[in-house]
Amino acid sequence: MTKLVIKFAIFFVLIVLVQVTVFNHLVLFGVAVPMFFIWWLLRLPLTLNANWALTCGFLLGLTIDVFSDTLGMNALACTIIAALRHPVLHLYFPREEDLTDPEPSFRTLGPAVYLKYLITLTVIYCTIYFMIEAMSFFNPIRLIMCITGSSILTFILIAAIDSITGKQREKRL
Amino acid sequence: MRNLLHFFLKYLSWLVFTIYVTISVVILVKNNPYQQHVIMTSAGSMTASVYYATNSVTSYFNLHDINEDLQRRNADLEAEAIALRTQIRSLREQLYADSMTVVEALSPYTFIIGSVINNSIYRPYNYITVDKGEADGVKPEMGVVDQNGVVGIVNIVGPHFSRIISLLNPNFRLSCKLRGSDVFGSLVWDGKSPETALLEELPKHTVYQPGDTIVTSGYSAVFPEGIPVGTVISAHRGADDNFFTLRIKLLTDFARLSTVRIIATPLIEEIQEVEQDIQEPQTKF
Repeated sequence: MTKLVIKFAIFFVLIVLVQVTVFNHLVLFGVAVPMFFIWWLLRLPLTLNANWALTCGFLLGLTIDVFSDTLGMNALACTIIAALRHPVLHLYFPREEDLTDPEPSFRTLGPAVYLKYLITLTVIYCTIYFMIEAMSFFNPIRLIMCITGSSILTFILIAAIDSITGKQREKRL
Repeated sequence: MRNLLHFFLKYLSWLVFTIYVTISVVILVKNNPYQQHVIMTSAGSMTASVYYATNSVTSYFNLHDINEDLQRRNADLEAEAIALRTQIRSLREQLYADSMTVVEALSPYTFIIGSVINNSIYRPYNYITVDKGEADGVKPEMGVVDQNGVVGIVNIVGPHFSRIISLLNPNFRLSCKLRGSDVFGSLVWDGKSPETALLEELPKHTVYQPGDTIVTSGYSAVFPEGIPVGTVISAHRGADDNFFTLRIKLLTDFARLSTVRIIATPLIEEIQEVEQDIQEPQTKF
């Protein structure tokens, strides 16, 4: 248990650093922003108490907000994503009790379910985030381009990095 | 009893969810850039030191382009210096009996050189973080320029870092005029592209040519008069027909901002004191 907490704490610091120093500046065509940090939230163990999951989501969003001067935007979207994790997984994987490892990954859920879980939450996240952003300048075409572009980019990045790190762990075992 | 407990637990997470959503919405809605605490922004010591460390690596990437800009600017300034020197000589000849020197009276401004450690251009409200703070003499509401033109205005000052409201932020309106005429309007970013902005509230009789230079008007102590801001691209008819709006190409390249100059003026407090009684709905700089 303690090992898991320490692992996720280190993972939190790393993912925030990577997001604010690299991915926040990696904006493709002015529309596609990689929201890579939500990977941490999606990887949290499913057995985690809902209140703790919400707290983790809120804190992650707030930290990213403080770094990128977008106070409140990521915090709100992350809280909503943290709440939607279980309902979304239920859509694709109804028997949650069957899981051997509580951490959602390629190995535990199988590639098809895991990828569906990733893309659904990524799309929801990008939609919420850019809807909030659109309150300042409403531009429907840009909004749609931002949501699609960012969702695709985020999904590809998370899926790619997830598969690389997953394979390394298997080799070690 | 067990069911009740279950129900309560379920209800509890809804409560937690509502609390977090409320906190987020509250900080989102009252996102007044002038009232944020230094800890909650990129000028906070922890956030800024992360960017500072990153910048010590990434600042090398743009050096080629920046060098080119500086060389061009240097050439311009040299030409200007020669012109001014000639002018001073002729003035001195005319006023040789008078002991007053022209140059000293014109320079109440000093510069603080800062290096940009974090910058965004694609958000609806963009901010820049620089590595100079209170300890270096930076104060809120000082103007910021780079070698090409106006960058923004200092917003939140930490001990060693400060946050600047970029020109690419609709909270920032800049009083500008067409070079060579006294027609002035206010420049505001419309969120479309980080390369262009709008010059609004120009009188209808404004005469302009595409390519005309827009400079700061000098109507406040923040920016001295005549700092280049952009060039006119085309007319842009706004909803209000009583005024004229122009689309401006900004001279500052916000995508590769590296070194900026913060304008410090001893007159700023004096001018603010004089203007204190004037109540305006929106502050112009």
